[in-house]
Amino acid sequence: MNKARRQIPITIVLLCLGIMLSLQFQAQTRIASDLTYQRSDTLIAMVRGLSEKRQKLALEIIDLSNQLRSQMESSRDEKKLLEGIHLEMEKLRIVNGTTALKGPGIMIIIEEHMPIIYTDLLNIINELWNAGAEAISINEHRITSHSTISVAEDAYSKDGYSIFMTVNHEKLTYPIIIKTIGEPNNLEKGLTLPGGIMDNLALFNAYPEIEKVDKLEIPALEKPTTYYFMTEYKPSEENKESTPPTTNPPGITNPLKTAIPR
Amino acid sequence: MWFLVPILGLIIGTFLGSNISFQLPPIYIKYMSIAVLASLDSVFGGIKAIFEDTFDGTILLTGFFTNALLAALLAYLGDRLGVDLYYAAVFAFGVRIFQNLATIRHHTLTNYRQRKQRNRGVKNE
Repeated sequence: MNKARRQIPITIVLLCLGIMLSLQFQAQTRIASDLTYQRSDTLIAMVRGLSEKRQKLALEIIDLSNQLRSQMESSRDEKKLLEGIHLEMEKLRIVNGTTALKGPGIMIIIEEHMPIIYTDLLNIINELWNAGAEAISINEHRITSHSTISVAEDAYSKDGYSIFMTVNHEKLTYPIIIKTIGEPNNLEKGLTLPGGIMDNLALFNAYPEIEKVDKLEIPALEKPTTYYFMTEYKPSEENKESTPPTTNPPGITNPLKTAIPR
Repeated sequence: MWFLVPILGLIIGTFLGSNISFQLPPIYIKYMSIAVLASLDSVFGGIKAIFEDTFDGTILLTGFFTNALLAALLAYLGDRLGVDLYYAAVFAFGVRIFQNLATIRHHTLTNYRQRKQRNRGVKNE
């Protein structure tokens, strides 16, 4: 028989056989790695390993979620703290006079011909504070806890010897306008009550004008006060550090602590 | 050598089969296995026929494909009917493969001995 001719069918057949064999081989190996064909021992070991892994992962989840929660809490706390600090800062700025303010209130106008000395000014301002004033300025000089109202004399002015009043070490010029933010009626009542400051001034023929205003503007302090030496005094810390607790003077409380609203 | 080209074909076939992206669906693995068994039987039968000088390419080709198809169909039918014809096919083809292999071994041995004797005869002459 012709050897070349019988090679062809055999080759074709073997080619097909090869394809079939390798396909079958692949399929069988795939099946062998399938879980349903695994031995029970290996399955048990696999299950055990996987469940251990799962437990570990669950623990990790708990851990991480705890971390997350604490982080969120701390961030929330920080936010609250920041907000609180902002609010406090605004209040402190208002109180310290570093910001310009506006609001309803009264204006007191004192003309040059009225016989008024600096103690009258002080009295008026004290009365205003008592009547619930929230911010006061005299001729655009903001009155704060550091303000001074005093008298000064000038021997070398052009009209000879003269005495004038000062606010925050600045000379006051007439007319003196005292602007006060607060409840206008209350403020007015505080000044004009019988036997009050207005009656007192009337004895000296001084009749300052009082005007209720819906919208007043009070300027900020020109030179904000800076502090170099003050630090907060905390009695508890001092007690820890040093010697037996000295009795704190009852009148002195921490000014910052009481000033900050909680 | 006459068997080099077929062996090359077998190698190319395995190479192709392993590089084909086609994956056999798991349900057909059983039928494929029986088809492979049938085609193996055909191949060994063809080799036996070469040794016996009764080789016919057409018979080999038709036998190869029809045997494989029929074996797979039979196994499938058995599954449908609830009779495990699969094992019958495995048994039948297994027996025939062993018989074919035995015959092939027989023929190679006799061929080898004859050649040896001839060589000895040449030497003796």
